[in-house]
Amino acid sequence: MTATEQTAPATAAPAVTVHRVTFTRVLRAEWVKFRTLRSTIWTVVVTAVVMVGFALMMASLMRLAADTPEMAEGMSQDPAMQAAGMSGTFVITLGYSFGQLAVAVLAALIVTNEYSTGMIRSTFAAVPRRLPALWAKLVVIVVTVVVVISVALAIAYVVTLPILDAADLPVDLSDPEQLRALGGCVLYLATVAAFALAVGTLMRHSAGAIFTLVAIFFVLPLIFSIVVGASDAAWTDWVNKLLPSVAGERVISTGPTPDTLLEPWVGYGVLAGYTVVLLAVAAVTLKRRDA
Amino acid sequence: MIEAHGLTKRYGPKLAVDDVTFTVQPGIVTGFLGPNGAGKSTTMRMIMGLDRPTAGTVTVNGRPYAQHRAPLAEVGALLEAKAAHPGRTARQHLQALAATHAIAPARVDEVIELTGLGSVARKRVGGFSLGMGQRLGVAVALLGDPRTLILDEPVNGLDPEGVLWVRNLAKYLASQGRTVFLSSHLMSEVALTADHVLVIGKGRILADMTVQDLLDGASARTVRVRSPQSGVLAEALRREGAEVTAGDDGALEVAGVDAARVGETAAAAGVVLHELTPTVSTLEEAYMELTADAVEYRSEDLAEEMAEDVAAATAEGGSR
Repeated sequence: MTATEQTAPATAAPAVTVHRVTFTRVLRAEWVKFRTLRSTIWTVVVTAVVMVGFALMMASLMRLAADTPEMAEGMSQDPAMQAAGMSGTFVITLGYSFGQLAVAVLAALIVTNEYSTGMIRSTFAAVPRRLPALWAKLVVIVVTVVVVISVALAIAYVVTLPILDAADLPVDLSDPEQLRALGGCVLYLATVAAFALAVGTLMRHSAGAIFTLVAIFFVLPLIFSIVVGASDAAWTDWVNKLLPSVAGERVISTGPTPDTLLEPWVGYGVLAGYTVVLLAVAAVTLKRRDA
Repeated sequence: MIEAHGLTKRYGPKLAVDDVTFTVQPGIVTGFLGPNGAGKSTTMRMIMGLDRPTAGTVTVNGRPYAQHRAPLAEVGALLEAKAAHPGRTARQHLQALAATHAIAPARVDEVIELTGLGSVARKRVGGFSLGMGQRLGVAVALLGDPRTLILDEPVNGLDPEGVLWVRNLAKYLASQGRTVFLSSHLMSEVALTADHVLVIGKGRILADMTVQDLLDGASARTVRVRSPQSGVLAEALRREGAEVTAGDDGALEVAGVDAARVGETAAAAGVVLHELTPTVSTLEEAYMELTADAVEYRSEDLAEEMAEDVAAATAEGGSR
């Protein structure tokens, strides 16, 4: 009863060869879907360009600061900059703050646009077990983010090299901390993509998913950075340091860890933990709910 | 072959499909007939594993759809037009689905030609008319050369030529031994295309018979007769073996004997007749009768509402 034995064709042409569904084939299908939408291609390109743009802008500022003592003084007093650590790596990874929003929206839309257009029914008709389609989407978005962000960082490294050298802030690839921060930038954004894919799968609506993600990765950290500064309550410190973005982006930092924040790998572990839990819940609901 | 046993789907308080049991046989076209909201689409979605039944089971070619190793080779479904992303071209949409079963690009081109989409295959689905979307849906259904086809309202939005094409395609596919299950809310469409028919209303199967039986039943003749002595007449007709039912306006509906025999019987019994009318119910009437209690959205309610609106508007106009 396998499909390949089937001989009755729908047309006069020779029998159609249909193979069984495997994960590799579902992965190929999801890749076709990903690359055939102009909006995804544009989002990916813009993310890379903005990452490089941020690096260039910050490098130029650093170059300026190197010649202007008052400005250098101001920067070294800034708590955010202290937490991130002042290094060449900080400069070329700076664009992650924008990149995370672009990556999160892209990942969420991969799922939610299937629900809004009805495509999900075609997808599930071809892959009725459903979960392979979710995992294939996960692989496609994570691999894409890893490749694109690595390329963007490499370009940022090359184009800022002369400026940072002049500012005496070189990216030191022999420094394990800077290397961890560079790899951490790629890892963080890939994890944010996985997190967003899970949120998109759970919420199914584009607007709702994007609103939630912007709240989690942009609005909440902003609110808590103010709250933590204004209040002495210990719980605000804890909530702040356990926020997905605040915890996760520790892996991109260089320099000593402040008391109010987690160690880099601990922080990343917290984000990874949220992501795994969300993905598990998303998988269960995807399997159960009506499409 | 599609087999449903006690299939039930409940959405909150609403029972969309109510304990439905049926078998769809291969080699023939089976029509799935019912008014809008009767549960046709829900039943078809449950067959495809898209909706989870509240109770009961449904199998395709012996297994639940999701348990087939190459599902697209078992069932091809057109569940709604444009179940596709508007930003992709028809060809890209088919390519993505073909990739899941490693179906060769040649087959993608083949179904594009077969469904007459050749000239628009490289255009984005977003710009498609309803008819073109419907053709793309049929192309998707045919992609895996499936043994069973499920087509939900396939002629919706098609031009007359497209309607004819779908009819012939359905018959052709069935003649190859495939199972073809096609839904419609139009009796005439099913009568022209299907061999067997399942009638559904308010989530329940109302009839499961060959189209020929349905046609024969529909053209059954009755005679309408009115008499001041209807009690005596009814008695006499029953002795002749006729089935007599009293209409609400005092007339009798007589089945089983023709008008001439009714007249003769009346004369023999010395009964005066005020009316003697042979009536023939049409196919549409038979269907309407079958589903009369099961229509979700009644047009007479709408008519009443409209009448009220008109009355209100007139009153308003008059007071001005």
